[in-house]
Amino acid sequence: MKQKPRVAVFDFADCEGCELEIADLEEEVLDLIEIVDIVSFREVMKEHSDTYDIAIVEGSIMRPMDEKRLRNIRSRSKILIALGACATIGGINKIRNQWMPDEVKKEVYGTADLKGNELFDVFQTKALNEVVPVDYYIHGCPIDRDEFKSVITAIALGKKPDIPRYPVCVECKKNENICQFELGNFCLGPITRAGCKAICPTHNSPCEGCRGLIKKADTECVKEVLERYKLSYEDIRRRCTMYNYGRKECSYDE
Amino acid sequence: MKQLVKTITKKDFSTFVNTLIKDGSYDVVGVQAKGKRYVFDTVSSAQELRLDYDVTILPPKKYFLPQYEMLLKFSLQKPFEGKETITDVPRIIIGVHPYDIIALEQTDRHYLDQQQDSFYKKRRENTIIIGVDIQNVSERSFAASMKTNTTESGFDLLLTDIGNCYAVTIGSEKGDKLLKKYATVKDASSTDLNKIKTARNAVLKKYKQKIKIEKKDWSPLLVANYDHAIWEEHADVCMECSSCTMVCPTCFCYDVKDEVSLNLKQGNRTRTWDGCMLKDFTKVGSGEVFRDEVKERYRHRFFRKGNYLPERYGFVACVGCGRCGSACLPDIADPCNLINELAHFTSEDDTGRYFIKEENEVLEKGIIHVPRSATIKKITPFNELDSLFEIELDDKKPLGHKPGQFVEVSVFGYGEAPFGISTPPGNTPLFEIMVRQVGNVTKKLCSLQPGDKIGIRGPLGNGFNVKSFEGKTLLFTSGGTGMVPMRSLINHVLDPKERNKFKDVIILYGAKRPKEITFMDDVDRWKKIPDVQCEITVDRCEPSECWGGCTGLITTLFPKIQADKLDSKNTIAVVIGPPVMYKFVIKCLQTLGVPDDNIYVSLERRMKCGVAKCGHCQINGIYVCKEGPVFNYGTLKQLPEAF
Repeated sequence: MKQKPRVAVFDFADCEGCELEIADLEEEVLDLIEIVDIVSFREVMKEHSDTYDIAIVEGSIMRPMDEKRLRNIRSRSKILIALGACATIGGINKIRNQWMPDEVKKEVYGTADLKGNELFDVFQTKALNEVVPVDYYIHGCPIDRDEFKSVITAIALGKKPDIPRYPVCVECKKNENICQFELGNFCLGPITRAGCKAICPTHNSPCEGCRGLIKKADTECVKEVLERYKLSYEDIRRRCTMYNYGRKECSYDE
Repeated sequence: MKQLVKTITKKDFSTFVNTLIKDGSYDVVGVQAKGKRYVFDTVSSAQELRLDYDVTILPPKKYFLPQYEMLLKFSLQKPFEGKETITDVPRIIIGVHPYDIIALEQTDRHYLDQQQDSFYKKRRENTIIIGVDIQNVSERSFAASMKTNTTESGFDLLLTDIGNCYAVTIGSEKGDKLLKKYATVKDASSTDLNKIKTARNAVLKKYKQKIKIEKKDWSPLLVANYDHAIWEEHADVCMECSSCTMVCPTCFCYDVKDEVSLNLKQGNRTRTWDGCMLKDFTKVGSGEVFRDEVKERYRHRFFRKGNYLPERYGFVACVGCGRCGSACLPDIADPCNLINELAHFTSEDDTGRYFIKEENEVLEKGIIHVPRSATIKKITPFNELDSLFEIELDDKKPLGHKPGQFVEVSVFGYGEAPFGISTPPGNTPLFEIMVRQVGNVTKKLCSLQPGDKIGIRGPLGNGFNVKSFEGKTLLFTSGGTGMVPMRSLINHVLDPKERNKFKDVIILYGAKRPKEITFMDDVDRWKKIPDVQCEITVDRCEPSECWGGCTGLITTLFPKIQADKLDSKNTIAVVIGPPVMYKFVIKCLQTLGVPDDNIYVSLERRMKCGVAKCGHCQINGIYVCKEGPVFNYGTLKQLPEAF
């Protein structure tokens, strides 16, 4: 009988919420472990193995020691999956990239002496693909459990997962939501990747772009909408810093 | 037939609705408030109804072509099992405005005329439509100037608020029966009938938008302005969000996906709304996108409403509901504004130039979504990417195809993909296709073994009209994988039973590299046939590849044809190959003196449903899966999106 793929789950700078989503599959965890062997998943079990085929990684890369650890994981795995916004696009962790690491450390730790301590040796936050090649991306903050299942089954079947490359508006309209703009809110939905079933607008909260922008914020169409709704570029720039700070390119293929 | 009109007091109407709800045999749906907007939703009491609404966020199309609809369930454990999953909930929809009623009738033409969609049909049959005359008008609606603000047909019952009661126009037997069973009504008097007219007229002044031209002038106006700067100007600010198509009552394109459960034991095939405004709408397995630029997609939507569908069905496919105008953030989607802006120009140009009318035999009605079971008999690899598959239908019936047609092959859990049929028509249940590994379905297919089962839908497409080739010289030019469908035609023509119907046969074949040549066996056999000229070339080859033949592009084979001996006016030329090849080969043919009307091509697009419903394969106004994939170059060349 063909051996089940061995899966290991790791995290870096994150809240572990995306990993928790995997645990929150509840009864479906039984289905999951029928098709894969989870050999390492610190958040839910103490067993660990250094031999695995698929690595699922949550969190951003902050320090040289993180880079080293990630490269090690990459070298041991055939497939690397970035789990959640911190891993796929840097997410909230990139907010601090607006300032130099030293400024940030001073703000947080004050006058504490952190020299030579590798735990605090941070550089500008990096998403996983800024350090190693990533095979698949599961976007969102947190991830969508259905999308997680879809990606895992695709990998198990040997097919490329089908991640939307169109904006949240498609799913929002299918849900028959009243457009956030009509309610006077600025929503990042039109320039954000879909796949979350527009969960935030459906629950009356404008989209924050956690799945990654698929259109740059400084395009003509965005400027047009800003003008029409009497919003400033400052507004959108600030909204985008939550999850999408410093993304020079909006990669379609992620 | 004079329509019967009754009246019902508002109180009795509430009772009528509550009785229907209590009866429990219908899903009673009606217009309700959602915040400041309105939606169709299941009502639990007549009090929830807001029949004075202006427009709903989504049109009632969601009840006939749902946002997400399961087409079939399959098992990955049993060799082949796919069950159609039609739900047939009897439903009553209360409060449909005339423009939405008209939009449904338009959608009927597309989904029920030919190759009937059984899901849509069932839902239409199971639904009773209780329309309501418009009382309030949304900001962007221009239904009055589109003459879609009232309708004489398409409803089972139609309500008009005439003050103290509703007038109820009976539109069908179903409606009549419903009233008789559940409602207390009176006959309408002539005063009541006049009140209906007054009520309808009173609303007219509420329209804020008015379209400046008549519906019959949309087509010539658009044709005159195919290359107008406005498309690019507006597309510059388009968000490519496809909100316009999602909320549109006359849009009905969809995508189909296979989803598998986490335990990998079973799954389902689901269709969901898709939008031609999205970037990947026309993307095929090899990665090519056939309508890439935003301005092309933006223009396509208006042409579809105002030129392509009118040419096909005779109606303008916009009902002036105003939903797209409200939904579009940069405000470029509103057809009223766009048409009014263009309204200064018109033309005498042929409005049918972006459409090809085919004299099609009436295509099979019936199950079009569920594949038939078939078995892979043999797999012969040509090279590391391409393999020849021999397939047999499990019911042992012949496929019944014409050369040039294609099949949609299903691998449950992975999806469905179109393949040209490579064998000539015959009485055998066996047929061949060639599979090139480019995506999920093809990669999985190439990992299967003889004996494994797959699903087949087809034959699809128009195929070659071989009868019209009789008595002519035939010149076949294939580039690369173009030889796959071409082989079906060539072997049919060269069949001893058919051969003497045609004159000389010339076969030209060009591949990129020697290892990409498919069907070398056939080529060798054709070369040996006396009155057949067969020439083959490769674009280039390495010294290490043993290739003793010609090198050079396919156009370098044309000088090998004895032009002075060729009766070019009575030659039929068939060209199939990669998009880039057509322009050059057609030039060679024209130099030889072959008339454009004697040239046939086969084109590739993203074929998903294969039955002219999902919309992905469109080239201007035609569906490649229906008016094609075989086209006459003489008529095709006027379609700007063809090459």
